[in-house]
Amino acid sequence: MLPEPFTPKFLSQLETLRLRTRKEFLGGQSGSYASPRRGTSLEFADYRRYAPGDDLRYLDWGIYARSDRLYVKLFREELDLFVYVFIDASASMAFPSVEEKFLQASHIAAALSYVVLANHDHVKVHLLGGSPGNNASPFYRGRRRMIDCVEFSAAATPAGTLDMPASLAHHLQNLRRPGKAILISDFLMPAASYQRGLNLLRAFNLDIAVIQVLTRPEVEPSFDSGGVNLADSETNAEINLQWDIRARQNYQARLAQHNSQIRSFCHQSAIHYSLHVTDRDFADFVFTTLSAIGLFK
Amino acid sequence: MEFLNPSALYGLFALPLLLIPYLLRRKPKRYVFSSLYMFTALGANRTARPFRRLRLPIIFFLQLLLLALMIFALGEPVFTSRPTKVAMVIDNSASMQALEGDKSRFFLAQEKAAGISADLGFGAVLDLYLTAPRLERFGRESFSASEALRALRGLNPLDLGEAPLDYNNALGQLARQQQYDRVYLITDRPARGQGAAARIITVGQPQDNLAITSLRIHPGSLAEARISASVEVANFSAKDARVKLTLRGGGTPLASRELAVSAGGQATASFEGLTAHPYFEAEIDARDALALDNRRFAVASTTRRLRILAISPRPQELTSLRAISGVALDIVAPENYEKTDRSGYGLEIFHFAAPAVLPRNPALFILPPQQNDLVELRAAVTNPSVSGWRDGHPLTRYVNFSLFRPRYARALNPRMPGESIVRSAEGPLALAITQQGNNHLVLGFDPFPYLGQENLPMSIFTVNIVDWFFAFSGGRGRATGEPIEVSAPQAGDRIITPKGEKVSLQPGVNLYPATLYQGIYQLVSQNEKNLIAVNLRDLNESDLRQPAPIGLAGDSDARAGTSVLLPFWPYFLLAALFLLLLEWLIRPPMAGAGRRVALRRKHAVT
Repeated sequence: MLPEPFTPKFLSQLETLRLRTRKEFLGGQSGSYASPRRGTSLEFADYRRYAPGDDLRYLDWGIYARSDRLYVKLFREELDLFVYVFIDASASMAFPSVEEKFLQASHIAAALSYVVLANHDHVKVHLLGGSPGNNASPFYRGRRRMIDCVEFSAAATPAGTLDMPASLAHHLQNLRRPGKAILISDFLMPAASYQRGLNLLRAFNLDIAVIQVLTRPEVEPSFDSGGVNLADSETNAEINLQWDIRARQNYQARLAQHNSQIRSFCHQSAIHYSLHVTDRDFADFVFTTLSAIGLFK
Repeated sequence: MEFLNPSALYGLFALPLLLIPYLLRRKPKRYVFSSLYMFTALGANRTARPFRRLRLPIIFFLQLLLLALMIFALGEPVFTSRPTKVAMVIDNSASMQALEGDKSRFFLAQEKAAGISADLGFGAVLDLYLTAPRLERFGRESFSASEALRALRGLNPLDLGEAPLDYNNALGQLARQQQYDRVYLITDRPARGQGAAARIITVGQPQDNLAITSLRIHPGSLAEARISASVEVANFSAKDARVKLTLRGGGTPLASRELAVSAGGQATASFEGLTAHPYFEAEIDARDALALDNRRFAVASTTRRLRILAISPRPQELTSLRAISGVALDIVAPENYEKTDRSGYGLEIFHFAAPAVLPRNPALFILPPQQNDLVELRAAVTNPSVSGWRDGHPLTRYVNFSLFRPRYARALNPRMPGESIVRSAEGPLALAITQQGNNHLVLGFDPFPYLGQENLPMSIFTVNIVDWFFAFSGGRGRATGEPIEVSAPQAGDRIITPKGEKVSLQPGVNLYPATLYQGIYQLVSQNEKNLIAVNLRDLNESDLRQPAPIGLAGDSDARAGTSVLLPFWPYFLLAALFLLLLEWLIRPPMAGAGRRVALRRKHAVT
């Protein structure tokens, strides 16, 4: 049983989408994504001098007529796509509640996974941080694995701290095939941390998309005026703060600057970036916002 | 602007309490947040500094203003116009002699009164009143402001206690009857509430004081002159004191001793073997607030003679008293008692009789009729046996009560507080009662038939009675304000007051009422000179710690004061209501969690 947003209508809309990649990857089987391998698709890639044994059907007779030399036409091979969805499952994703943030992030992951599965591509879900245990799902392929995919992320419990570079490095150790990486997190961490993480993904020749998920209380904190004692949901570190309108404005300015920094880094690194505030419409985000940043073809 | 209920303004002192909730809120409220990364640059940990500046929101100042307005409204502020007819009542009782620093309270009252009269408008008139010996107008005519200043300078406090008076009614009545715009009472008692026209101005602060509350000279007995004195000193303060007590006889120091008086307590000193003097004076050297009560005077009897007036329907039973040395006995029938001149008697014996009102002299009541103020007589008993007696009392001295057997007696049931001296199984047989400063003794049996007869204990008891009353005779002092009885004054008789004033006595006037000052009054007649000691006996005047406040209700003189008062406290209330509304607009009741829920709903909708 799929969760609430995944209605038949919603799923059918997702089936019309295809993930867009900016890189060519070597897939495992034939699919619909261009690969650097020469193959039998309809997309012309190059010419090569004829060698004995080449399939005569690919000889370009026009060139032979003009130059009296034999050339064979080479075509791109279209292969399937491997998609890696990384979901931040640290304790901060449970603020203010699991339903409000982590579940929303899981839904985004599930929607994107369904797009992949509907195209008979491979998707694998990775949990960054979180409770100890199985933090990576197997590769799923085909629509019928959607349930497994959703159940895997639904079974996760956000907990603990997140060291993004270390956690990504841990998952990337087992990564054998390049593909598309989708990183879903709140990115409430120092710039150096997420930049090192994203650079790691880039180093593995992954086509990266970043989706930042924030809740309304994180965007517009509403503490009672006066002295407040704030505790970090991950580290339990505490700070005291004088909270008033001015502090709130300062916080929002700082958050905007932080988000802008992420966006700028992603732009420079050819990474898709999008921000989702969880009280906004989920379907609108998937079909409008993600399409607008070029995540879908 | 004035306040009809100024005590409400003490609430202003409570205003800083409003800070408490804001100070309590300084303890930071704890929130769990996803990540503190964004807050690290916002000056976090500032609240950890212990003496950081307290930031108060606007709502605090609104609340402060709201409370202040409500307190001002409770104080019932009124605008006043300048009164044109004013009465100034000045407390001139003894406690106004108390010193406040180097000035007396009365002097401070005079200064206050002078200030008020100086503030009066042109054409205003002022009447002066004094509270002692009674609330009475000073001078026949009203004073202008300048005349009032001159009149004030001539006023002095008296050595009198304050007359019991309901000032709320008295001042209100004064304002209504004399149509005063304003009545000021300047006193050392605090005020509670304010009247519409009456105002109380308090001078002086609570103070510690020591006082001699009693000086008694005991002349010994008729048989032997053994003059002794006992002095009682009271400490009206919260700390122990040590004073030097000096006893003088006729102005000559006789003895002195150190006396320790516990806080709030009393101490007694006795002086034995004193020589005879016309008068005695006790003084303590305490440098306290009120010097007046540091001295006390007493006069001892100069003769070893007790004049007894006996009132009896059976005069023959009393004649045996004449056998006692020093006793002079006059016997009258009960019906002639009222017509008899009773001055000069040291004892009145009511033998099977009782007066309509209690006598001013010490009196012995023997089996009085049921219609008397002192006791009720129970059923008659024959040969009652004495079951108890007051040990060590002068009346029971040397008496063998096992042999003390009156043949007929009636137990006494006291109608007023008294001390049981002799008891039988049926009840008291002898009761000592002190009433209006006089000592009375009531007996439920008749001792006189036994005097000199075979019943020796009864004879001894009779002699003890005579000696006991002799101890009170002659030397009885009077309280200031209490009139001095003069026996048949003749032309040329006069009284010399302690201030040295010589007042001629009018023939036919048997009372001299103006005992306004403490000291020795000399009653000089053609044949003899009698001394009378007059002392301040009002302990309320000596106890300067917490004088009883004077309460004014505010409505007793409302009609008189309306011409000069314009109440505007309702406007304060209106302003307070407006502020309440403003506060509600600034911070509606939906706050905290409720507001967050509402925010969430709002976002969910949008």
